[in-house]
Amino acid sequence: MRWAAPAALRLGEFSLRFRPLDLGWILLTTLGLFAAVLAAATIGSFPLGWQQVWAGLWQPSGSGEGAMAHQVLWQLRMPRILAAMLVGACLSLAGVILQSLTRNALAAPGLIGVEAGGSVTMLMSLVLFPGLVPVYLLPLTALAGGLVVAVFILMLALRGDFSPLRLILVGIGTTAMLQAVSELLLTYGDIDRVESALMWLGGSLHKVTWTEVRVLALWFLLAGVPAMFAFRQLNLLQLGPAVASSRGLSQRRTLAVLLLASVMLTSSAVATAGTMVFVGLIGPHLARQCCGDRHGILLPLAALSGALLVLIGDTLGRWVFAPLQLPAGLVVAIVGAPYFIFLIARRREFAN
Amino acid sequence: MSDAAELSPARRPWLSFAGLGLLGLVLLFTAFLHLGLGAKALDWTTTWQALSQYDPTNLDHAVVRDSRLARLLVAVVVGAALAVAGVLIQAITDNPLADPGILGINGGAAFFVVAGLLMVPGTDFAYLPWYAFLGAVSAAVIVALLGGRAHNPVRLTLAGAAVAALFSAMTATVLLLDQQGLEKLRHWLTGAIGAADVSKLLQVTPYLVIGLLLALSQVRSLDAHRLGARAAAGLGVNILRLKVVGLVAVVLLSGSVVAVAGPIGFVGLVVPHAVRLVVSADYRWILGYSVIVGALLVVLADLLARVAVRPYEINTGIVTAMIGGPLFIALVIRRVK
Repeated sequence: MRWAAPAALRLGEFSLRFRPLDLGWILLTTLGLFAAVLAAATIGSFPLGWQQVWAGLWQPSGSGEGAMAHQVLWQLRMPRILAAMLVGACLSLAGVILQSLTRNALAAPGLIGVEAGGSVTMLMSLVLFPGLVPVYLLPLTALAGGLVVAVFILMLALRGDFSPLRLILVGIGTTAMLQAVSELLLTYGDIDRVESALMWLGGSLHKVTWTEVRVLALWFLLAGVPAMFAFRQLNLLQLGPAVASSRGLSQRRTLAVLLLASVMLTSSAVATAGTMVFVGLIGPHLARQCCGDRHGILLPLAALSGALLVLIGDTLGRWVFAPLQLPAGLVVAIVGAPYFIFLIARRREFAN
Repeated sequence: MSDAAELSPARRPWLSFAGLGLLGLVLLFTAFLHLGLGAKALDWTTTWQALSQYDPTNLDHAVVRDSRLARLLVAVVVGAALAVAGVLIQAITDNPLADPGILGINGGAAFFVVAGLLMVPGTDFAYLPWYAFLGAVSAAVIVALLGGRAHNPVRLTLAGAAVAALFSAMTATVLLLDQQGLEKLRHWLTGAIGAADVSKLLQVTPYLVIGLLLALSQVRSLDAHRLGARAAAGLGVNILRLKVVGLVAVVLLSGSVVAVAGPIGFVGLVVPHAVRLVVSADYRWILGYSVIVGALLVVLADLLARVAVRPYEINTGIVTAMIGGPLFIALVIRRVK
């Protein structure tokens, strides 16, 4: 089949081999993302038409009716849309990296407790010392908690005979414990603060402004973009430690750097939007259905599908019960938990 | 015969009775502490007098009699019920990691209770146990279907985690849609024994008694089931009946607990493992010990919850999660291959 012959993209020492079909998938997801962005921009308590959105995007600022549309679009909808996409991309990328490091298709940052760890330190800083940490460094507080959990999990995962399933079960235990800690903080906070904290824990983007978008973009540039260039290392790691070291991969350092990247991505998402347990599982899994385990394509495709997932979740959450808003994370969980169940039901190692 | 078998209660019943008696004494002592300590610590004599020579005009006596005694009673019953539910569910699923909390049964019950309270007008407490049973049954059935026919603890646990996540997301959704409900229910949702009262306990007592009797009726079948489902079937045990009756008992016990005190996790996980350290065979003894140890665990957890950050209180469910979480992880690391 000539049309499926792999092509190669060379850029310095990086060479990325891809198949035409991969480009098709990326194109399709990107188109879907565009459609979702347009839908998200029109839907809301102040409905806008397609033309108004289009005009509002390009006009510097209109007058009268146009000014209002411009205001809604640029002050409320655009930051929220961008933040949803960035959060989804971050979590999904973090999921792919974690899954390849542990060689475990179920290892998502939400399931193994990294998100819970991040949210505990975040809640501590929010409830106990509000205003102590500047917005740009908030991901750092989430990073501290997430990193502790991730290192603990990885140490277990790398112990000789540690099976993937035990890893997930340990994660479930860790998550339950950490949830108790966050509940502790939630039950005793001031009710107004707790309400917004519950909203935040459920994975909400309702208070996002351009500042949060900038923070997310910064962290995505710091951790996500470099991670996308690590596809060669991830491909090697997936073949197992023996093959990887025989191809000259310094495992310890690669693991440490990639784990840090994964936790950084998770933390920035958690710091902005709270916990979204299933995004890091479903985003990568959808992408894997399309292009398999070739990380050169898998990483960007997973980022795109994660972005699409959270954007759709957030838009649905705004729309279904309007004027009430559901956090995107809850919408994703209500869709994602059945999907996870479906994955478990289908896994061959459980078939007995 | 190994030493463990020599010590097993079937051979030395007096030893098991002594152990049970000792634990009972420890429980009494802890219960007394529970009455005495709290936001306001009372000395021994005052606590004792409040029980023996009640003086209605004495405020300290009123504290002991009116609020702490009720709370103690709730803690004892909740602990015993959850422990029995844990023993049953670990036995019928043959899964050392099973627990009404981890398998999503508490979560299902909690969701139905929250949804019923906030969305069905005119709901009063009498209906809540039924909502809880309905939720517990639906979660249990989903998890059981997902767990599949073959014996597979890991799959069952993962299915339980997914169902628990689903129900907790739905509970959070309902609470966010009804903001006043959040204020009312947030303590209850993390397992609050403090918010429970004796009248609620009395209302669920019939269900608890039925659940306990059902559990006791299956003791022989449970003993046989320990040898494996096939061997038990060979001994004439009706496996399907064992599982259905056991599950009904679990649903009644944990549903009643959720209706009274909210979802309290990990008690059903911890207690059976603790009990097996002492008694290994014979489900009569395992159940008997579980009742006492479960009550002891929850009374202790509740005591800790009230004393740790005086004058504030931590919710009891949070304390049990802090105790049970590490045990769960240790069990996974040791047991799951």
